[in-house]
Amino acid sequence: MANGSNTASRISPRRLLNVNKGMENKIKELRTKLNITQEELAKLSGVRRETIVFLEQGKYNPSLKLAHDVAKILKVKIDDLFKF
Amino acid sequence: MLTNSNINPMTLKQYQVLRMAVAVILGVIFSQTIIFQNYLVPIVAVTVAMLVLILAKKKVKGVIADERDYAVGGKAALLTIQIYSWIAVVIMFFLYTKRELYPSYEAIAITLAYSTCLLMIGYGLIFRYYNKIAFLDKKMIYTVLFIVAFVAVVIFGLRLLSGEDDWICSNGQWIKHGQPDFPAPTVECK
Repeated sequence: MANGSNTASRISPRRLLNVNKGMENKIKELRTKLNITQEELAKLSGVRRETIVFLEQGKYNPSLKLAHDVAKILKVKIDDLFKF
Repeated sequence: MLTNSNINPMTLKQYQVLRMAVAVILGVIFSQTIIFQNYLVPIVAVTVAMLVLILAKKKVKGVIADERDYAVGGKAALLTIQIYSWIAVVIMFFLYTKRELYPSYEAIAITLAYSTCLLMIGYGLIFRYYNKIAFLDKKMIYTVLFIVAFVAVVIFGLRLLSGEDDWICSNGQWIKHGQPDFPAPTVECK
């Protein structure tokens, strides 16, 4: 019987490492609420603006460190930032 | 603190333009030196270009490449290696089958075969390093061993590529060494 944990183990490593597939998130919403531009968020988190664009569009899976940094800047927990 | 990097800071755009200009200049230098058969100038040019780009990189205010660039770069590099290997193998077999018609094809086929092998061995070693060795306690010892193994593979590969059968320039004349399949070089032997 398939459940949540089994579903995760069935996903191929290639699919997990696909840099062009990301998770849904609330980055844009929270960023707009805090009145921060993409450029500023990129500068504060130490990445290029394009990476923030891809992150917001759910086209990139960030590293744990970047997810943590962005969550800290946007003053939320990682769990509240991404839809797992 | 006033450092060299913040006297004249460079924007990312300026750095990218400079990098492109350096690549174009290097291309021109390489093509000209091949025509004039001068092999010292390209080595000097590449060294100077690397130094210029390293200095320019230090002056850039902002992020040049981040984790996403490295992830994409890794994926692109792996795909490039796979595509190159397949194309090289196909061309190698084609040239090898035509070696009776054109003897020089054999040398090109062997060069392609060994360059592909070297590329894949190099990739395997570097992958192994970043996958396991980089995280070990005795990293230094393994790093030295890794470099020695890599250099040995390169030297062995070059030795295989150079071959026993060749033409050697001696006293202004091309002398046969072994049984080369190809004719003597047409360039003047000095």
